Amino acid sequence: MNMQDAWVLPLLPAAAFVVLALFGPYLPRRGDFLAILAIGATFVLTLPIIADFTDALAMQGEEFVGVANSIRWLEVPGQLELDLGIHVDGLTVVMLVVVSFVAFMVQVYSLGYMKGDERYGWYYAVISLFAASMIALVLADNFLLLYFSWELVGLCSYLLIGHYNHLRSAAEASKKAFITTRIGDVGLLIGIILLWTETGTMNIQGVIEAAEAGAIGDEKFTAAVVLLFLGAMGKSAQFPFHVWLPDAMEGPTPVSALIHAATMVVAGVYLVARTLPLFELMSGGTELVLAIGLVTTFMSAGMGLVMTDIKRVIAYSTLNSLGLMFVALGVGSPAAAMLYLFTHAFFKALLFLGAGSVIHATEQQDVSRLGGLWSKMPLTGAMFAIGALSMAGLPFLAGFWAKDEILVALLENRAAFALVLLTLPMTALYMARVFILTFLGETKDEEARELAHESPPSMLVPLGLLTVLTVVAGFVVFDQVGEAMGFPGGIGEVIYLHDPHAFEFDVAVTLGSIGLVALGLLGGWYAYAVRIELPARMTATFRPVHTLLVNKFYMDDLYQAIIDRIILAISRMLAWFDRNVVNDTGIDGPALATGFAAYLTKFQQTGKLPSYALAIVIGIVALACVAFSLKV
Amino acid sequence: MDTVTQQIPLEHFLVVSAIVFSIGIYGVLTRRNAVLILMSVELMLNAASINMVAFAAYTSPQVMTGIIFAVFIITVAAAEVGLALAIILRIFRNRGTSNVDEVNQLKW
Amino acid sequence: MTVAQGIFFLIAALFVGGSLGVVLVRNAVYAALFLILALLAVAGVYILLASEFLALVQVLIYAGAVTVLLLFALMLTRVGDIPESMVGTQWPIAAVASTVLGGLLVATVSTSDWPGDAEGMITRIPFEQVGDALFRQWAVPFEIASLVLFIALVGAIILARDEDDDEDERTSPESAEVGEVTE
Repeated sequence: MNMQDAWVLPLLPAAAFVVLALFGPYLPRRGDFLAILAIGATFVLTLPIIADFTDALAMQGEEFVGVANSIRWLEVPGQLELDLGIHVDGLTVVMLVVVSFVAFMVQVYSLGYMKGDERYGWYYAVISLFAASMIALVLADNFLLLYFSWELVGLCSYLLIGHYNHLRSAAEASKKAFITTRIGDVGLLIGIILLWTETGTMNIQGVIEAAEAGAIGDEKFTAAVVLLFLGAMGKSAQFPFHVWLPDAMEGPTPVSALIHAATMVVAGVYLVARTLPLFELMSGGTELVLAIGLVTTFMSAGMGLVMTDIKRVIAYSTLNSLGLMFVALGVGSPAAAMLYLFTHAFFKALLFLGAGSVIHATEQQDVSRLGGLWSKMPLTGAMFAIGALSMAGLPFLAGFWAKDEILVALLENRAAFALVLLTLPMTALYMARVFILTFLGETKDEEARELAHESPPSMLVPLGLLTVLTVVAGFVVFDQVGEAMGFPGGIGEVIYLHDPHAFEFDVAVTLGSIGLVALGLLGGWYAYAVRIELPARMTATFRPVHTLLVNKFYMDDLYQAIIDRIILAISRMLAWFDRNVVNDTGIDGPALATGFAAYLTKFQQTGKLPSYALAIVIGIVALACVAFSLKV
Repeated sequence: MDTVTQQIPLEHFLVVSAIVFSIGIYGVLTRRNAVLILMSVELMLNAASINMVAFAAYTSPQVMTGIIFAVFIITVAAAEVGLALAIILRIFRNRGTSNVDEVNQLKW
Repeated sequence: MTVAQGIFFLIAALFVGGSLGVVLVRNAVYAALFLILALLAVAGVYILLASEFLALVQVLIYAGAVTVLLLFALMLTRVGDIPESMVGTQWPIAAVASTVLGGLLVATVSTSDWPGDAEGMITRIPFEQVGDALFRQWAVPFEIASLVLFIALVGAIILARDEDDDEDERTSPESAEVGEVTE
């Protein structure tokens, strides 16, 4: 399979979706094997594409910027030419691997996790559709196809968050997710259209070239780029749109792993990485990205410290990581961002699936009720620990390499560097906290402990594979590894060839980060395993800060107030207008008027001969008058 | 043919005809009994007849259309009255009334 | 005013008065009598127009047969028992409409130029010529007219026929049932 043929990739899961949606209930096992077959085939097919990519890289070296393949889709002569096609370069290849592999693992895991669920077949259908749309998104060569897939993944996210549709909280959460990302999506659409009106093309590479050639006016360009970033902010849950991600944990855990950790939420990162030249051209573009990323990562690190739901802690850690990715993009290092994206997908999915195993076994999500599960689920616990340590940044695990790269890239920006350094021990702290509270120590809920057991193989195998990757994936930073895999010059050369940036190392930074991470881990161990009353005392001491964090900086309340006061008020006015003016007057009005007119004219039909004769005579008289006036 | 001189201008006859015609219309619209309506129709027919004959006598005696027409009017009027009265008798037998206000089936 | 004009006004007055009587009187039989008066006046007008034969025909058929027929119908539908209200349901509008129409007609007639001798030269048409024209040029309408009469006759017989043979059992008009459907 060549790179040009990569358009086949989204079709396989899409076909699985169609089959499952239409015939799911009639297939054996609701057709889950078809979905897994499709996504597995997709993953397998990405391998020859990677091979083809490395071949092309080897042959063309520096000049290779990617392969495009498109067909004409729509044409309005002179005004609009839309192509439908794919664009494969290093960025695409990384995303393809991540998406297809994690989707594959998650679908296999779901065999065990979602077993016995009422809407099992529909779950697999939608998750296949999601995989198809996400792959289409990363393959898209023009903004329109990208936007189309963007919306589709949003839809699948909505459907899957609300999977447990008997739960009010799930319905609310899916609505919240959809609406919040919608705000970003509208910005994205306007930005796309703005760029199109200025450059005349929707093709991403075409737009970038036009912008670099200076074809776009300053104000419009700034507006367009900001709007594009708005879309990225929405989808990737950056401040102030981060509120939907923690609530999205209402969905099944495999969904959280796939969509809200590894793939959909990084769509925003992908978009910014893809259009990074635009951000660099815009004055203040990269600064904006950096600022938002910093705020997000810092806030979420704080909030992760106080949450008690195991999935929510991991959700805030995802926010933390996403913020870091945007920070990396903000300093102009897409390689670091993509490396982090790549490794993060694996260990975050691992963390979520591990948490899922715990939840599946104990039917409990609150860490204050868990504890001491290690003896019952050592395998899961060990894998979870590896994921947590990778997230924290323990040396030689994947997370460590990625974080280091970002820190190195940040060296020029003192303030950002300091802030990110601060988040390192915080991250380590809350990761340690969640692990210790769940697996170590004494059990707070005996019933939960009774139920705990190791998961079936369908769940353990994906966990194991992800664990392996978490351990080894980080080593791609070394050029030797990269070259051995067939990427000349290392992966950094590959990922973003517009701005080649081979992975660099700074010993001081590395040692410093190791030190901070160790501080955080030890502190966590001390606070939660040794001196157990310490956290409670700290909470009491820093009560105001704690309250602020637990209430998520009151952002949800703020949004709710805005909705209640402003939006619903406007809605009520519009509803009144619609009901009274449009419906009662505009629609019922003519109907009633017609009926009334008919009622009035009904009386003409008296059935009596004299009245009909009178009508005739009056007609004749009228004609006579007319004739007479003409004669005169 | 020979001519006779009278001092009655043509318009006199026509005016009389017009007046009686209108009176006949009033009768048709106002009367309740079907037979009386028929009488008013006869009035109208006669008025028209006078009109015809007056024109024939005054303006075109060679072509005697007016007089011939008057003959036919009388003929047809007689036939029509016979038929109409038969219908009225029928209605009277069916509904017990020949009051056109009460025979009002032709409606919603 | 000459004698002819005086006679004309007299006959015209009878005609108009008779017609007013037809449309205005309460009693139906009186209305029929007024109709006779009007029809006779029409005969007089025909004489003034030098068509004596037409006047004869008018008296014979109209004033004679038609009015008798009308009177018979009045009798059979027992109109005499029910006083007719002079005020029909729509007399104001009818009055207005007919007045307007009459006024228009009169105005038209008065203000138009009529061909022929307006001073009152009429031509006496010998009725032999009328008969001649009737049977030659107007032969077809003549036959059709006789056909019309025939059809009217047949139709009237069929319509007015009583299907059930209960006629003999009715002793008086009062015993006839109202609204009885005769089939």
